[in-house]
Amino acid sequence: MKPRTSAGRLTSRSLVLHENVAAYLFLLPFLIFFVGFVLYPMFMCVYTSFFDATMGREDIFIAFANYKELFNDEVFWIALKNTLVIVLVSVPVTCAFSLWVASVISKMPIAATSVFRCIFYLPVVTGSVAVTMVWKWMFNNYYGIFNYLGQNMGLIDKPINWLGDTRYALGCIILILLTTSVGQPIVLYVSALDNVDKSLVEAAEVDGATPFQAFWKVKWPQMMPTTLYILVITTINSFQCFALIQLLTSGGPKNSTMTIMYYIYYNAFKLYRYGYGNAMGVILAIIIAILSAVQFRLGREK
Amino acid sequence: MNNLTSNKGRVYYIICYVLVFLIALTFLFPLYWIITGSFKVKQEILSATPVWIPTQWVTTNFENLFAKRSAPLFEIGSLVGPTIPGALRWLLNTVFMSAVSMLVTCLTAAMAGYALAKKRFYGRTILFSLIVAAMALPKQVILIPLLREMSSLHLYDTIWAVIIPIIGWPFGVFLIRQFAEGIPTEMVEACRIDGASEWRTFTDVMFPMIKPGVGACAIFTFINSWNDYFMQLIMLTSTKNLTISLGIATMQGENSTDFGLIMAGSALASVPIIIVFIIFQKYFTKGITMGAVKG
Amino acid sequence: MKKILAIALALCMIFAQAVVVAPTAEAADGVTISLWTYPIGKWTDEATVKGFIEEFNAVHPEINVVVEYLDYTNGDDKVNTAIEGGNAPDIIMEGPERLIANWGAKGLMLDLADMVPEGTYEGVVSSCTNAEGAVYELPVCMTAHCMAINYEAFEAADALQYIFFFNHTATTENFFKAVQAVYDAGSPYVGTVYCGGQGGDQGTRALVTNLYGGTYANPEHTEYTYASEENAKALAALCAQDGITFDPSIVASDEIQNFVNGTFQMAFCWNATQEVNNADALTFDVFPMAFPAEDGVPSLQGGIWGYGIFDNKDEARAEAAKTFIKFLVDDDAEYAKVVEATNFQPVRDVEGVYEGNELMAEYALMNPMMGDYYQITKGWTQARTEWWNMLQRVGDSDGSAETILAELQTAQDAANAAAAAE
Repeated sequence: MKPRTSAGRLTSRSLVLHENVAAYLFLLPFLIFFVGFVLYPMFMCVYTSFFDATMGREDIFIAFANYKELFNDEVFWIALKNTLVIVLVSVPVTCAFSLWVASVISKMPIAATSVFRCIFYLPVVTGSVAVTMVWKWMFNNYYGIFNYLGQNMGLIDKPINWLGDTRYALGCIILILLTTSVGQPIVLYVSALDNVDKSLVEAAEVDGATPFQAFWKVKWPQMMPTTLYILVITTINSFQCFALIQLLTSGGPKNSTMTIMYYIYYNAFKLYRYGYGNAMGVILAIIIAILSAVQFRLGREK
Repeated sequence: MNNLTSNKGRVYYIICYVLVFLIALTFLFPLYWIITGSFKVKQEILSATPVWIPTQWVTTNFENLFAKRSAPLFEIGSLVGPTIPGALRWLLNTVFMSAVSMLVTCLTAAMAGYALAKKRFYGRTILFSLIVAAMALPKQVILIPLLREMSSLHLYDTIWAVIIPIIGWPFGVFLIRQFAEGIPTEMVEACRIDGASEWRTFTDVMFPMIKPGVGACAIFTFINSWNDYFMQLIMLTSTKNLTISLGIATMQGENSTDFGLIMAGSALASVPIIIVFIIFQKYFTKGITMGAVKG
Repeated sequence: MKKILAIALALCMIFAQAVVVAPTAEAADGVTISLWTYPIGKWTDEATVKGFIEEFNAVHPEINVVVEYLDYTNGDDKVNTAIEGGNAPDIIMEGPERLIANWGAKGLMLDLADMVPEGTYEGVVSSCTNAEGAVYELPVCMTAHCMAINYEAFEAADALQYIFFFNHTATTENFFKAVQAVYDAGSPYVGTVYCGGQGGDQGTRALVTNLYGGTYANPEHTEYTYASEENAKALAALCAQDGITFDPSIVASDEIQNFVNGTFQMAFCWNATQEVNNADALTFDVFPMAFPAEDGVPSLQGGIWGYGIFDNKDEARAEAAKTFIKFLVDDDAEYAKVVEATNFQPVRDVEGVYEGNELMAEYALMNPMMGDYYQITKGWTQARTEWWNMLQRVGDSDGSAETILAELQTAQDAANAAAAAE
C-alpha cells in the first residue's frame, strides 16, 4: 500500500480515533447501499453455491458437489478458455487503442477533441441491443457489408459466414466488444493527458527528449492511476461479456463463443440450476479478483 | 512546441489524424444506420441490398412506438395523471432512474472514494478488497437474492429496485478513489492544519480537485444504469414502470423482430444521453494535476 | 451548473413522489389480478386486450385485471425470476406449452381440468393433460406449424410441378427435386436449416422428422427418440442437397426475414401469424405448405396456446382469475373473438370464427395433419439446446449417415439424461 506518510504524523490516540470516525462517516452513505444491496446478495450467492438449489423446492445442502461437477464439465472449460481469450485480446488492445486515440485527439483543437470523444463514446450511448443488431447485419452471411466490401475489393472470393464459422465467430465478438468498450477509456485518457503536469513535459523537451521519450518517461508514469483503473474495469467487463453472446450467437457455433457469463445465465435462468450457476459465479469472481490484485501489484511497482 | 516537432513527426500525426477520422466513421455508422433506419419503411429495413438513404422518409415506426402502449403520466396516491403514450412514460422513467442513480452515486462515491484514498482507518484494506471482489462478481448471480430482498422490502416493480443496487455498485467509489489517490496528501494536510473541519476540507479542497473524476463517474453511472437491461428486466413489470429498452422489447412478436420499432426507440433513447454527455463533458477538461503523484 | 443541478434535483423530487407511491392504491372492495401475456397474435396489442377487459368489467366490475406484456426473448427469464421472488402473476397466457407443464410439475400451477369447455377437441385435451390427469394450461387456440415457399420463385424455376396443391404437401422425393430445380434456376440459398439458437426450432424438428418418418419422442412422452436411422438419413440428405445450407449464425426470426426479403426461397418456420405480420413487407405470393414426407402424409408439429393460473395461495385471486378465463372461453361468441385475436385456429367448433377470412381458411387445411404433441416430454429445455447444438455439429461434419447418427445419439443421450433427472 501507500507509504504511510500521513499516519506517521497522527501519533496521538485521539487523532487516530478522530480519523477513524471521520472516515466512517464519509463512508456511511455508500456503505448502507453497498452492504445491503451488494454484499448481502453476494454472500447469499456464495452460500447458495453449496446447495442444490432450483425452482419450487427447498434447497438441499450438497457441500462442494457443485464445484466438483464444475471441474468435470467440459463446456465450462471451453467457456473458461473462450473467456480468457476474450480477456487476453481485448484488454491490451482496448488499452493501447484508447491511449493512441486519446493521444491523437487530445492534440486537436478543443472543439474537435470534444466531437471525437463524443463519437467514440457513441456505441456505449446507443445501447447494446440496437448496436448489436446493426453489427449482426454487417456480419450477415448473405448480404452483409463485410462480405460485400471484401468481395468487391477482392479480399475474399466467396461470402464468409462470419458469425457462423467456428474460426471467425469469437474474433467477431471481440471486435464488437472493442467498439463498445473503448468509449470510457478514451474519455479517461483524454482527461488524464490533459492533466499531465505541463512543466515537466516542457522541461523534458528542453533537455532534448523526443516527443516519444517525453511521452513514455514523463506522461505515462503520471497516468498510472488512470491506466490501473482502465485495466481493472476493462478486465472485469471483458470477463463479464454477456449481452453480445446472448444477442448474436447463444454461445455457438459449436460452443466456440460460449463464455462463462453466458453459461452461468444458461444454467441459472434456463435450467433453473441456481446453485450450479452460483458456483460458477464464485469461481469467476475469484479469477477476476486475483487478476485485479496482480494488476494492482504491477501498477504499484511501476 | 510545434517548432520542436520534426517533419517526420508531422507526417506521423497526419497519418494518425486520417486513421482516427476513418475509425471514427465506423463508430458513427451504427448510429447513422439506426437513425435513418427509424424513418424507413419495413420493406427497406428488411431489404437484402443496403438502403443507405431512405427513399421515402416515413414516421410510421415512431407512430407505432407511441401508439402501441399507453400509461398515465404520473400517479400520486389516487391522483392519476393524463394518459400519454407508453414510450414517453418509459423515457421519463429511464431519465429519472438514470438521473437519480447518477446524483446519489456521485455524492456517496465522492465521499467514500475520498475516505478510501486519503483516510487511514481500521478495515481500509479489507473494505477495498471487498469492493474489488464485489465488482468481480457477475451481476447475474446476485440477481435472485436481490430480487427476494426487493420483494420483501415491497420495492419489486418500482423504479427504486433498479436504482438502489446501482448506488451500491462500487464502480464509482473505485473510480473516484483512483482520482483522489493522485491528489497530493499534503494539500489535505495543509488544510487541516489551517483548522478547517473535515466536511470543509472535503467540500472546499478535495471536491474541486476530484471534479473531473466525479464528472466521469456521473456520465458512466448515468449510462450504465441506462443500459442495465438485465436488472430492469428482472425488477420491473408494470407497463407504467418500464424503461424504454424494456418497453420496446415487450412489443416484439414471436419470431419476428420489428427492427423499425427498435431503431425508433433507440434513436429516441439516445438523445437524452447524448445531451447529458455534452453537459458533463466540460468537467473532463477542468482537472487539476490529476495523477501527479506516483502511486 | 449549480442551477442546472438544482433544477434537475427539483424535477427529480417531484417525479420521485409520483413513482414512489406507484404500488397501486387499489379499491378496497375488489380483487386485482394480473395477466401476463406472451405475444400471441394481437394479444400483444394494448387496444385489443383492453377491449376484452372492458367487456369483462361490464359484467364483473369487482375484478380489476392488470395486464403486462411479455416477449419471447426475455419473457421466460422475467417470469422465472418473478416466481423465485414470490411475485408470480395470477394468469399467464403462454405459447407452445413450453413452460406451464414445467411449472405445473413443480407444483406452482392450479389444475384447471374441470374448466375445459365442452366440445374441445379430444386430441387437444389429451395433449394438455399430464400423466396424473391435471390440466395446467387451459387450451384456447392452436396452429400447425408449417413451411412456406416463394410461389413466384418456384414458378419461375418450374418447380411447382412437384407440389400437391390440393392439400399443400409434397413427397420427400419431390421436395428435393423442387429444391434442386430452384437452385439450378439460380438461387444459391433455397432453404436454410437455421441453428443459431432455439428460436423457432419446431421448424427444423418437423422438417427432419418428417422427411423419412423419424420420431422425436416416444408416444408415452417419457424419452427422446430422435437418434434413429430415419432422422440420420434425413439430415444426411439435407447436408448433401444443393441449395440447403446449415447456418449456425441465424435463428428463425432471421430466417423469416431472409425469406421475406427474397434471399431464401423457403421458410421452415412459418404459420398464419407470420404471413399477417409481414404482409406489408412481402413482395411475392407466399404458398404455405406442410413439411414433406415420403408418403406425402406429414405429421405436423402443433402449437397450443392457452391460460394457466399460478397458485399464489390466495383463494380470492384464484377465483377471480378463473372467472376471467371462464368469461373469455365459455361463451361461444366471446371465445370466437378471443381466438381471432390470436391469429390461430380454435380448439373447438365455433360458429362464425374467421368468417370469410381466406387466409385462415388456407392455413386451416394444415390442422388435420397435426401430429404428436411431444413438447410435454420431461427435460424439454435441455432437449431443445441439444437439438440445435447437434444441428451445428452436423452442418459442420462430413455429412455421412454414420457421423450424423453418432451426433444424434450424443444429443439424445444428454436430453434423456436431463429427462431422467427431472
